Amino acid sequence: MKKRVVITATSVLSSLGHNPREIIKSFKEGRVSFERPPFDSEVVTAPVKNFSLRDYTGPFKDGRYLNRGAQFAAAAATELIRNSGYRKEDLPDAGLFTGTGPNLDIGGEFPEIRGGNVDREDLRALWILRFLPNTAASAIAKLSGIHGENLTISTACSASLQAIGEAYRRIKDGYLKRAFAGGGDSRLSPGGILAYKKANALYVGNNSPDGASRPFDNSRSGFVPGEGGAFFLLEELEAAEKRGAEILGEICGYGCTLDAYNLTAPEKGVERGRIAVMSALNEAGVSPSKIEVISAHGTSTILNDEREAHLIADLYGKNSPRVIAFKSWIGHASAACGALELALLLICMREEYLPEIRNLDEPCHGEINFVRQGKNVSFRTAVIQNFGFGGQNSALIIRCTR
Amino acid sequence: MNILEELKKILTELLDLDNGDITPETYLIQELGAESIDLLELAVAINSCFKIKVKDEEIFLTRFRLHLTEAEQRKEDAVPYVATKYPFLTAQRVEEIIKNIGKGPQLKVKDVMGYIAFHSKEA
Repeated sequence: MKKRVVITATSVLSSLGHNPREIIKSFKEGRVSFERPPFDSEVVTAPVKNFSLRDYTGPFKDGRYLNRGAQFAAAAATELIRNSGYRKEDLPDAGLFTGTGPNLDIGGEFPEIRGGNVDREDLRALWILRFLPNTAASAIAKLSGIHGENLTISTACSASLQAIGEAYRRIKDGYLKRAFAGGGDSRLSPGGILAYKKANALYVGNNSPDGASRPFDNSRSGFVPGEGGAFFLLEELEAAEKRGAEILGEICGYGCTLDAYNLTAPEKGVERGRIAVMSALNEAGVSPSKIEVISAHGTSTILNDEREAHLIADLYGKNSPRVIAFKSWIGHASAACGALELALLLICMREEYLPEIRNLDEPCHGEINFVRQGKNVSFRTAVIQNFGFGGQNSALIIRCTR
Repeated sequence: MNILEELKKILTELLDLDNGDITPETYLIQELGAESIDLLELAVAINSCFKIKVKDEEIFLTRFRLHLTEAEQRKEDAVPYVATKYPFLTAQRVEEIIKNIGKGPQLKVKDVMGYIAFHSKEA
């Protein structure tokens, strides 16, 4: 007997705010954090301002081993414990599914590499931990008391959505009763910017920083790196109802595929992206016509948006669901984008509000129902789509249970 | 260089302590909660701050119990035997540690200070 899986608590650290009230206010007032980083006047980033892990964990000596992305993951997971109604002692059997990215802060970590040596007094004995993908999970386990089945997923921009999907499957199939799932990432460091700038993936230009991230607009030219973290408590519906937990939404379908095409660019026909979305819809038992809102990956790169628009038009036909693109608000949080976008979507679902796709002046596709003005909309069924470097495709179906 | 003050700075930062209420009598493991991973970092930090070579098993008394067993096997007096392994500890201190060894890890701040002082002179 398959179990139904619901979300009973969330936490979010984003450039729009750290709780639903702040975030919905940012949407309605058009408050964003896009700015030029101090070390590069050509690019734009969307930082989370005044973030300190210690504000969440209190004194936590292992914080020294967490890179900034892992710190967002640990802070969000700690906040989730607070929001969940559980104590550390209640969670030994819970699972933990974490989406993380690589630490690209090469210059910040080792400014003094000379001739293959690092002569640096403050180099930690265990500096390696800042580079290992599962350090975030081991810190979160220590903070939360979680001992159960777990995975660290580093499938690029698809990572945290897959982490949530894998947690959903474990609960659905009866392996776990509850799990933490989510992720954190940050690639705003000089090393991260160097990497994506060199790859020609970033917005580079002199326009106003606010206009740099423009998913699905004809004049888009590259993504704007963002950062942050979000975590969710996933539980069996029955168990959640039994303990009287508030139910924020149900996860009812998940799909993921690989393009097997190119190490960075999405597949030309988006066939495998389409299959990822289709298999999520099939698992949910929902036909494309029943989807009311699509939270698009919408990176503001030429290729992703062109191909994602093609996928949407192909799959949903002429009467496409409403399409939103959170990266126009928070930039592209890489491995954390799926978790952040789910958190924002749940807030929108509850508040019955859809924010416009910022800077969408000339849509790149004429038959898609892009949301171009923020509006009050009640909706019950939505899909989140994420596509990553390496041909990683994933989709998650969310339903409102109220 | 004031060894205690420098050591306090290192420990406060390393263990993310709120107040620097550290004295020579403070237990590193029992009171400050230092784990093996922290001692590893502490050794690196002491090496860099005091410019001395740090042998982890000596400065943190890692093999203290082993040396006690050795003394027993060799039928030698425990205190003088163990004291030869730790030239930076006084005989009294060795005796004190042996007396309390059943009550948890005995490593104190003053032991680490002793090691640093001993090796600073050597250098």
